[in-house]
Amino acid sequence: MKEATKKKKPVTSIGVCSDASISASGASFVYLITGLSLAVGFWVARNKFSVDLVSNPSLTLCLLWSIEFPIVIFVYSFFRRSPEKFSYFRALGRSIIGLFSGAFMNALGAIALGAPIGTQYLPKTIHWSFLMSVFTFVPATAVFGASWTDWHRVFASMKPSGNIEYMIFSPAYGAIIGGWFGAWPMPLDWERPWQEWPICVCYGAIGGYIAGQIVSLSVMFFLRKHNKNLKLA
Amino acid sequence: MTTDMTCTRLTIYTVAGIILQIIGLSIFVFGFFPVKPTLSGVSGSESYRDPFCDSPPNSKESEIHPEKLRLLYQELSGISSKYDRLILMVIDGLPAEFVLGKDGQPPWKVWKESMPYTQSLLANGDAIGYHAKAAPPTVTMPRLKAMVSGAIGGFLDVAFNFNTQALLDDNLLGQFFRIGWKMVMLGDETWLKLFPGTFMRSDGVSSFFVKDTVQVDRNVSRHLPNELNRDDWNLLILHYLGLDHVGHTGGRNSPLMASKLQEMDDIVRTMHLRAIDDRSHDQGQTLLIVVSDHGMTENGNHGGSSYEETDSLMLFIGLSSNISDYAAATNNLAFQVDLAPTLALLFGVPIPKNNVGVLVPGTLNSLRDYEKLRALELNSWQLLRLMQAQLPSSLFEGFSCNCFLDGTCEGLGSDISECSGDKEKQLICLFRNAAVLHGIWKSKKLTESSAVEDFSRALNAYNAFLKPASEWLASKTTEKPVYLLGLGVSAMLISCIVCVTVFLSLFKEVYNDSKDRICSLSNLLSLEEGFILAVLLILVISMGSSSMVEEEHYIWQFMVSTFYFLLLLKTIKSFSFSKGLNILGDYKVGSIFSLLISGRLLRGWHQGGVNWTCLPDISKWLEQVGSGYVKWIQLISNFLVIGLGMFTLFRTGSKRKTVRILTFSSSTCGFLVLLHAGRYGDDMFEVSTDYGATVIAKLIYLILSLSAIGAASVLPWCMLIKDKSFLAEAGDCLYLIGAVYILCWCLLQLLLQQPINSGPILLLLIQILAITGLSSKDLQVKEWVEIAALYYMGMAGHFALGNSNTLATIDVAGAFIGISSHSTILSGILMFMITYASPLLFLLSLVMYIGAKLRNHSHSTIMAHRANDLGQLLKLTLGFPCLVPLCINSILLTAYTVVLLLMRNHLFVWSVFSPKYLYVCATTLCTYIGVCIVAVIVAYTLSVTTFLRSNTTTRRLVCS
Repeated sequence: MKEATKKKKPVTSIGVCSDASISASGASFVYLITGLSLAVGFWVARNKFSVDLVSNPSLTLCLLWSIEFPIVIFVYSFFRRSPEKFSYFRALGRSIIGLFSGAFMNALGAIALGAPIGTQYLPKTIHWSFLMSVFTFVPATAVFGASWTDWHRVFASMKPSGNIEYMIFSPAYGAIIGGWFGAWPMPLDWERPWQEWPICVCYGAIGGYIAGQIVSLSVMFFLRKHNKNLKLA
Repeated sequence: MTTDMTCTRLTIYTVAGIILQIIGLSIFVFGFFPVKPTLSGVSGSESYRDPFCDSPPNSKESEIHPEKLRLLYQELSGISSKYDRLILMVIDGLPAEFVLGKDGQPPWKVWKESMPYTQSLLANGDAIGYHAKAAPPTVTMPRLKAMVSGAIGGFLDVAFNFNTQALLDDNLLGQFFRIGWKMVMLGDETWLKLFPGTFMRSDGVSSFFVKDTVQVDRNVSRHLPNELNRDDWNLLILHYLGLDHVGHTGGRNSPLMASKLQEMDDIVRTMHLRAIDDRSHDQGQTLLIVVSDHGMTENGNHGGSSYEETDSLMLFIGLSSNISDYAAATNNLAFQVDLAPTLALLFGVPIPKNNVGVLVPGTLNSLRDYEKLRALELNSWQLLRLMQAQLPSSLFEGFSCNCFLDGTCEGLGSDISECSGDKEKQLICLFRNAAVLHGIWKSKKLTESSAVEDFSRALNAYNAFLKPASEWLASKTTEKPVYLLGLGVSAMLISCIVCVTVFLSLFKEVYNDSKDRICSLSNLLSLEEGFILAVLLILVISMGSSSMVEEEHYIWQFMVSTFYFLLLLKTIKSFSFSKGLNILGDYKVGSIFSLLISGRLLRGWHQGGVNWTCLPDISKWLEQVGSGYVKWIQLISNFLVIGLGMFTLFRTGSKRKTVRILTFSSSTCGFLVLLHAGRYGDDMFEVSTDYGATVIAKLIYLILSLSAIGAASVLPWCMLIKDKSFLAEAGDCLYLIGAVYILCWCLLQLLLQQPINSGPILLLLIQILAITGLSSKDLQVKEWVEIAALYYMGMAGHFALGNSNTLATIDVAGAFIGISSHSTILSGILMFMITYASPLLFLLSLVMYIGAKLRNHSHSTIMAHRANDLGQLLKLTLGFPCLVPLCINSILLTAYTVVLLLMRNHLFVWSVFSPKYLYVCATTLCTYIGVCIVAVIVAYTLSVTTFLRSNTTTRRLVCS
């Protein structure tokens, strides 16, 4: 164990390495930024526009995703695949496409699972799916681009490898599963305002997103220890 | 292998489990919903005689002239009737607390000030009020029945009464009618449903528009001045619904409540001044009774068994009693059922036969001593008769006709004794004491002048008997025998364990043999398998919450859609990008998308449940746009159903004659259905009277049943194509039979269901075809998962057809299509088929599913080397399709039974949990029927094909 501690690398400030991998503390830094920007979104909505999810879900969601989205693409584009081939700005550009296609997929999924259809629900659904897209699709498009094999391996086969793939995989699935569970209180007759679509689903998704981040962080720490032990052996 | 289950053992275990389940279920149902032990018939003059006298059945009583009958009753009863007329004012949903206060405290100021006249009557001693405890379910119709018949109905009584609502048991109104009373009813039309043809004049109002709190009462009161001026009636019933509506819209503290109470108070004043105090008309003495059928909760709801709901009012106005104290006039307790014997004795008619109530003591004050004792005696006799029906006659040894009067009872001295022992003996002993004391008082009355002490002893003795006897009888109708419940639940638990064990052993055998051990151990539960089990768990948990039971359709549809997404994930996972997107994969994705889209449409078709029914949905939208669109949808789905059916039939590639005949018959049927819908679809409610429609419907039934039975029995014999393997033949044959069954069932549903439901039928058919196509394209999902998913989809479809867990959504109109004469059994079967259209459709689709599986696996080695043994083959093909639905259903049934048992004191036990239990029982029946059909057809087909094959091989051997 002593040797293990000796061999422990000094952690760099951000942890961006040349092969676009990231250390666990770097990941926690990224998570801190994304989490903070979510909090900023809520703060802006509360203090500048004096709305919240319950009173005006569309505007709040719009604020949330439009504050979160630039942060996410700026951060995740650093970790793009084969940075020598694709420039940073190209990664930014393709994640904007990813935002729209992801929003489309998320909206379709929500409607298939029973989200209400109607003109009064349309803006809410759209903004909700943009937020979900920022959680799920945008980081992946920033990193993977159109590399379908990576998409397939991470999302369909659920076999992420390396810290950055965990950083994409775990919060995305966390947000989806959290949103899925968040839909549970909707049919109950508690007559609370937050039971409306998409408020509790949003809470669930944000909670799941954060839980996914925590899970991926702990996996990273665990894996690194594990790898160290393997190396020792 | 000794650990392997043979086919026979498997079958025996399964059947034993099912039989155990049926036994357990029936024991539980009879324990939980006790069938009220009732005496049939109507009380007559025999009720004025000692119950131990063998009175000859007086058959001529019904022929006696009403007036003579009235005089006969008066003479026999020995109680002089002081009142000639009765006004019964029912205020729906008025808690007694509003008028009488609670726990000895006067009512709240706002309520008290709203009813000044009633309060002054109470204070002056002109009125006496009772907190009349109502029995649950606190809903209007059962409570009215309890008031007029004195009997407490069971839940099944309520549930199974949607066919005829008329009250056929012995009741007060019937008794009044028999002695020639003229009755007038103004108010809730429930009375008209309960007593058709009884009222001389009536004006019914509907309680349908709950928001209407004003007009509904105005419609009652507008006749009042006129009726009070007339003197041709004996009984006037006023039923005001407004207060209940106020409660439903605004709760107890609604701002409208005070003005509504004021209005009720004005009506009481009018009636009291006009009918009782005003003696200008020659109308005799009038008694005014103000009652409420039930109370209401803080929010204004009712139906349960809390104090607020059961605290109903019983207020007698015009009794010449000598109460001067306000507390004595208000702080009295009674039961709602006590109204029936009280009115019967006051107005000189026999007490209704199944009455469990006792005389309200405050009403006796105006009677003379001997009349009081006589009234109590009559009440006791009636209760004793009811007890006699439920107790062994050995307990009544020594009693004989009029023995108490003569002092000749065997073995029973004329002295009173201390009563002890078990409840039944104690009650009989109490009765004997009362009768003996009554006898003593009677004999002494003639000789001694001061018999006050004897009188009060007899009075107390009667009261000592009546109260416990009434409670005992009431508990007999509502009590739940614990040992029966325990026995039923444990039998169901055991059968559930048996089913699951059988399933697990089959599971182990199939999956440990077919794949290498390490693989199956490493991913013991794949994602879908875990999800299927999680759905089961979620369902079981959600059953404990009443709102989840009400909104159960959300769970099914959410879960089923999530399952489609998991399928999509699985399919995408199996893509290999090195080869590019293959066509097979595209086909699969397309099928899954069609599943998703049709699932969403099905979900949006009917906004089911209880709380959100007002939200827009497709069916409402279509009906709003106009009936023309519904017609178009009906037409299109009819054509598409036939088309899809034909396509499936011909896709097997067989061009034999039988297939053509089947196609012909089913298309004929389809066009007949169209004809029926086009011509007679508009008047759904008159359909049973139309001769042509009935003939067409009967023709459709005939053709459908002929083609279904014919296909199943004939097809296996003529499907011998030599160049195919034996299993592929059997698979083809089963696939065809399954397709025929599904097509027939869909056509039948298109005929029976409401026109708006033809769209969902088509969507369900599409779903079945999509999922069967998927499973035949090697979905890499285990067989039992697919079958469980089919079961879940069936349940989701059940709710998509507009069903819910309340009894109100059962489609009664469709149950009379094609039935020329009224038959409860036939229309019951049709009603069951309409309600369980979707689960049965998916269970029937298992035949097609098994066929497709067999055909696909005919070349696989495991099946081939097992195919020699029919038993093994049957076990492999039928094991999961039969066991999985049975297991799921058994788990859900057992879990819900336990939930119901835990919730037996819940507020919503009668309004939410019990109807749901009836649905669960019906689902169980539906699963049994479906599995039975599947098992029989598959076993028959496989044995026929095996037999044919063995014949040909022997023939070939002989030839060579």
